[in-house]
Amino acid sequence: MADKAILYDASKCMACRGCQVACKQWNDLHGVSTTNRGTYENPPDLSWDTWIKMEFREVGNNGNLRWLFTRRSCMHCTDAACVTVCPTKALYYHEMGFVAYDKGKCSGCGYCVEACPFDVPRSGSGAITGIRTANKCTLCQDRVTNDMEPACVKTCPTGALQYGDREALLLEGKARVASLGGNATLYGEEELGGLHVLYVLDDSPDVYGLPLDPKVPATSTVWQDVLQPIGWGVAGLAALGLGFNYVIAKRKIEIESEGK
Amino acid sequence: MTTAKGKAKSTPISHSLFGAPPAPGEEVVERYSRPVRILHWVNAFTWIVLFITGLFFFVPQFGAAASGGVSGLLHRIAAVIMVGWAVIYFFGSPKAALRGIGEAFKWGAGDIKWLQAAPSYYFFGDEKSMPPQEHMNTGQKLWWLMVLSAGALMIITGALMWFFKGIISADAFLWSAFFHDVGFIALLSFAFLHVYLSALHPKMRGIFWSMWRGTVSARYAESHHKKWYDKVKKGS
Repeated sequence: MADKAILYDASKCMACRGCQVACKQWNDLHGVSTTNRGTYENPPDLSWDTWIKMEFREVGNNGNLRWLFTRRSCMHCTDAACVTVCPTKALYYHEMGFVAYDKGKCSGCGYCVEACPFDVPRSGSGAITGIRTANKCTLCQDRVTNDMEPACVKTCPTGALQYGDREALLLEGKARVASLGGNATLYGEEELGGLHVLYVLDDSPDVYGLPLDPKVPATSTVWQDVLQPIGWGVAGLAALGLGFNYVIAKRKIEIESEGK
Repeated sequence: MTTAKGKAKSTPISHSLFGAPPAPGEEVVERYSRPVRILHWVNAFTWIVLFITGLFFFVPQFGAAASGGVSGLLHRIAAVIMVGWAVIYFFGSPKAALRGIGEAFKWGAGDIKWLQAAPSYYFFGDEKSMPPQEHMNTGQKLWWLMVLSAGALMIITGALMWFFKGIISADAFLWSAFFHDVGFIALLSFAFLHVYLSALHPKMRGIFWSMWRGTVSARYAESHHKKWYDKVKKGS
């Protein structure tokens, strides 16, 4: 199946935060009680109950002040650190390309929270008992697998969010970047094997607070690709060696007792 | 061997598994005090719980068993009991505990000789070149050293992941998980060796009972731990 994606065009976004509300409504996530921090940006951070939030940036530029908006949510990487570290495979790659999440399988270990290069997944409460789950955007798995757009896209009034085939959105994003000109960038084409959330940005990604070269932390790959095989090897060799020793030593003793 | 109660005392399963303990009437020497034995079995039991619940996180094929977080909770409870009991033991008799810990660090030329002679002993029962040993032989000291160092590693990395998640950097957290896994692999393979050599090896039949009853036969003590046996003899 062709990979699907979301295209977020920051130059069309007016930060109405309708996507935040639609996400909570469709996914049945509770509102978070916050206090006024003197900014329209609210809530202050992603949380177990907040899978998408708009980030507001004031950027000075030759005496002009630019008000930039960044969509913060799961980027649905092709090489996703969270999937690599997830011990229960609660996080997995969906055939449509995005990083799906089966909360019923979550063990609450929170490795994904630490491994994500975009700092997206969040653990619920229960740090002491360990009985908790992580949470993040599922690309509205229940909607997209039924031929509906994700809730955030559906509600977006300016067309800043689009959903469709990744290839088509890549072309559209490139065309938009070309028409914007200047420092405009398409983010997500190559990053981490290709993101399934593409960004049209009117400047360099770091101006929007996005990492220029996101990486899967080396520790997460080393764990599964190196430590696991070593673990099996060492434990297996130990067991084999001991079994071998048992056979030889037992035989020796039998021979001795026969000799007596 | 038939005794008056011979029929009632047919060989129990534990004896066929681990070998028979010293026969009644045989001269025995105390090897492990009661608190040490309780410490050992609390450790052994919690270790098994930690091992199994840890395996759920380490091996993807067993991952489903970790879902819901119950195994994580058991892992935490077992860790608290294991560490808590060790602390209680330590403060119950700090002198004995320090002396015990010190045993892991007493190394000498005899240990090299032991390591050289060990393969032919454990494979072919060749006892001639085994040098006389203290209360702990070289192999036991190796295991004890492994338990202490890997144990410390597990406690530190475990505590970092449990109590300092979100406070320490993501890298520090992921490295903690990495070294927790390294310690797991090391402890697991050495534990195989430990269980095998102290309970299952054909030459070690019956030695299991020393950690259960606290005593070993004088015969075993003299042949396996000559230096220690001589000291005990002198003392008594």
